[in-house]
Amino acid sequence: MNYMNYPNKFNYQANILPSSQGNNIYSPYEGFIRGNMFQSLYKPYKQIGPYRIEAMNEQAEMLTNIDALCFALIDLNLYLDVFPNDKNAVDMFNQYRVQKNELQKQYENKYGPLVLTSDAINTYPWAWDNKPWPWEN
Amino acid sequence: MWKYEKKLEYPININNKDLKMAKALLAQYGGPDSELAASLRYLNQRYTMPDEKGYALLTDIGTEEMAHWEMIATMVKQLMKGATIEELKNNGLEGNYTQHDGAVFPTDANGVPFKTTYIETTGDYRADLESDMAAEQRARATYEHLINLTNDPDVIAPLSFLRQREVVHYNRFKELRDYYLNTYEKNS
Repeated sequence: MNYMNYPNKFNYQANILPSSQGNNIYSPYEGFIRGNMFQSLYKPYKQIGPYRIEAMNEQAEMLTNIDALCFALIDLNLYLDVFPNDKNAVDMFNQYRVQKNELQKQYENKYGPLVLTSDAINTYPWAWDNKPWPWEN
Repeated sequence: MWKYEKKLEYPININNKDLKMAKALLAQYGGPDSELAASLRYLNQRYTMPDEKGYALLTDIGTEEMAHWEMIATMVKQLMKGATIEELKNNGLEGNYTQHDGAVFPTDANGVPFKTTYIETTGDYRADLESDMAAEQRARATYEHLINLTNDPDVIAPLSFLRQREVVHYNRFKELRDYYLNTYEKNS
């Protein structure tokens, strides 16, 4: 599987971050499979994982790339809520946001809308009902 | 308001039926430290945070917990797929079947229904945030117990993801609590 290359170094502003934090951040995919973008906070139970995500087809692989970027945004969002003056984190958030929006647009044009505001909703008949729904396998 | 994204936060594809594990996982669907309790707790507490940092963090973590609640339902549903009545009876799910058939219903692992007291809101930011930190630790411990109950990597992978999210949330709540104490209670 070919996951996109992302920068994985992250330079914190020393005056913003508590000194207990490290200064490395995972790439979206590496963070996603760990459930955590911030290397200093990653504490796996009994050294279990991380588990690579085995996508079964092209659609699932594309969705995994979107999931990884979404995850990076979720985790950076929580961090930025508490540390809103961290310019590097704001820049990183926006870099991943642009990549995520672009990739999601490609995915939705091919496989249907993930959100109701997607341009891919503009089809007849109404496409929102279409499978797969998230809990199905 | 909220908007729905038609995908899970983390993919779940469970191939093997395991009714005992489905029942155990209900702890995180409708138990005291469940994702449902966490989501409602933070979304309900945010109105009495002292300022916008708390509004933002509790809104965003509360929203993420809803996505986790959806992951737990997905795991329970997939673990129970194709179960016969005989299998449900043999795995302690006859009570669940009687009242809810194949539906996922918010109870704990012992079938005790969800209670609103789990939402634990005092209106005091320090009490609420310290309670949230403890809740994240209890949920982390619960995920470790759940991981100990299975050998199936299809189940352990999402459980490990959810467990690590508890670690991250704990740290964010702690940073917010420390910031508030430093900002509002310097001289007390």
